[in-house]
Amino acid sequence: MAVEISHISKSFNGQSVVKDISFDIAPGEVFGLIGPNGAGKTSIIRMLLDIIRPDSGRIRILDGSPEGIKDRIGYLPEERGLYRRLTVMDTLMYLGALKNRQNRESRERTLELLEKMDMLLHKDKRISELSKGMQQKIQLIAAIGHNPELIILDEPFSGLDPLNMKLVKDLILELGREGKTILISTHMMDQVERMCDRIFMINRGSGVLYGSVGEIKSRYGKNTIFLEFEGELKNIKGVKKINHSGKYAELVLDAGADAQDVLKNIVSEVRVSRFELSAPSLNEIFIEVVEHDKVDHNSKT
Amino acid sequence: MIKWITIAKHEYVYNIRRKEFLFVTFGLPLFILAIMGLPVLLAGSSASPEEYMIGYVDRTDLFDSVNFIKYTDEGLAKKDLLDGRITHFFVIPADYTVTGKIDIFSAKKGFLGSMAVESQIKGFLLDNLLKTETKEIVERAKNPINSEYFTLNDRGESTDAGLSAFLISIAFAVFFMLSIFSSSNFLLQGVVEEKESRVMEILLSSISYRDLLIGKIFGLGAVGLTQILIWFIIGMVLMSSNPISLASLLGRVHISIPLLMFAIGYFILGYLVFASIMAGIGAVATTSREGQQIAGIFSITGAIPLIISQFIIANPNAVLAKALSFFPLTSPITIVMRLSLAQVQFYEIIISTLVLMASILIIIELSVRIFRASLLMYGKKPAIKEVVKYLHEG
Repeated sequence: MAVEISHISKSFNGQSVVKDISFDIAPGEVFGLIGPNGAGKTSIIRMLLDIIRPDSGRIRILDGSPEGIKDRIGYLPEERGLYRRLTVMDTLMYLGALKNRQNRESRERTLELLEKMDMLLHKDKRISELSKGMQQKIQLIAAIGHNPELIILDEPFSGLDPLNMKLVKDLILELGREGKTILISTHMMDQVERMCDRIFMINRGSGVLYGSVGEIKSRYGKNTIFLEFEGELKNIKGVKKINHSGKYAELVLDAGADAQDVLKNIVSEVRVSRFELSAPSLNEIFIEVVEHDKVDHNSKT
Repeated sequence: MIKWITIAKHEYVYNIRRKEFLFVTFGLPLFILAIMGLPVLLAGSSASPEEYMIGYVDRTDLFDSVNFIKYTDEGLAKKDLLDGRITHFFVIPADYTVTGKIDIFSAKKGFLGSMAVESQIKGFLLDNLLKTETKEIVERAKNPINSEYFTLNDRGESTDAGLSAFLISIAFAVFFMLSIFSSSNFLLQGVVEEKESRVMEILLSSISYRDLLIGKIFGLGAVGLTQILIWFIIGMVLMSSNPISLASLLGRVHISIPLLMFAIGYFILGYLVFASIMAGIGAVATTSREGQQIAGIFSITGAIPLIISQFIIANPNAVLAKALSFFPLTSPITIVMRLSLAQVQFYEIIISTLVLMASILIIIELSVRIFRASLLMYGKKPAIKEVVKYLHEG
């Protein structure tokens, strides 16, 4: 296993942040650690990197040899920061040197990555002259410039425009194809759904879902309709819930409702240009699990 | 390469190129120079000796000069002075050998000028009064004492300790305190800023807390030392622009090599103790201003031997002086001061050195723990109770 986490817990000032979490990441896997803000994702990652230590439980990374382990990990933290007065190249060379990589090969790799991220023109600029999105790309390069085996990315897409989002996504997928083990922590479900092999979902410090994306979705069955339409969509018989997004909507069916009947009901209300029966999106599962959890939590307290 | 060296190198280069660093390092000496130089410039009395034209009226008929213009009549001298042909003239009255009275006239007021003129006149008078003596005697009369102090120990051997050694120890103390004050700034700022810059997490994904802190202590400590060295060099250059004062200073100071070696050794150890403390304070403090207040307590403690130096001088082997020799914050200055004054027992040197070394290791270890525990709590100021808890947890 590339990462083995067993029964870790952590509390700050008596407040429990991570409760008895266990999951594994296989070598070469693209793994999603997902959950709402404040669920405990970043705390787990910091424990993986030995920045903070768990109160209990065990963590094994890259077969557990602690010697030089940090050189084999790449990390993009959620808290973004760089030395503002350094140039792009100086920054990357310094951070590379801290990973014990300061040779021609790493320089070439860095230049290659700058090119790929569309940043080669800016390599001699100071960090303070770059836009936020550019700085984020530099940090991503810093995280992977030393060719690590395990790459940990905390919210890699936050604050990126669609163009840069695609660049970053393509790079992550490419790294995945190269056989790197990648852990993505995010609350952006649609990205995870498309990129990750398996996920671990955490809410209020506890694990709530764990498994392959396909398996989790099939567990929820084909009870969802993706709809593209014109008109106004209101209460439809046989539909439990509607997630609107403009001309599109995701409809969750009542248990036992027949999709054909529902389609008839919809057609009588609006003009349908697309209709697809599918498993629910990860987003919907996420919302359901979190809301369910909240109800549970409230009824307990 | 060992990773803390990479950190230290980065910290050094990054900070030494800061505008603030360059401004303070070069601006402060310029400012002091301006303050000191301004009155001299305004007074306009910076004329060199060659610019003085001095005349004299001799009523004793004893004095001859090659450099001064001899007038037979006071009226003529006055006229030349007012016309600007000479800058000064003086009158040697007939009863000079009894009274020593000399009247000096000049066209302008000015204290500095009159000092230089007076010393020229003095030389002229001595040359003439001792006309019959040899050149050496004349020189000796002009500069009769060239002092050097020795202290005899119980066995009657003279130690080379003396005024010069004592001066070195005071210079050491001042230099040491200056270095600490200027470096503590850099260390506090460097550690606090790092917490704010949020680069920390990237760094910690590559290196350990210990490497980071040690790298900072050495890198930022070197920045502080660089500043002090630049000031020192500027000071030396300014002094050597007036070669007489530098030569007379160096001529009087006999630098004893063993004392110098001890001074350097204690300087390095003591400096590291303070640098580690400052880094530890930086780890706890949320702003560098707050850190400076705490740091002040330690710096003042370090200055105690300097403040009470007159007691240490009076009795270098008193209980208090011995006690201060073992306390890591005060031992560097105390030991060097005592070494320059009297015999210091061998065991005292060994113990104080060991205490310093152990303190460095312990303080760094404690700082690492505090650092580790407090680091990721941005903007939150830990209470003393929590700091104690950090020490246990870290």
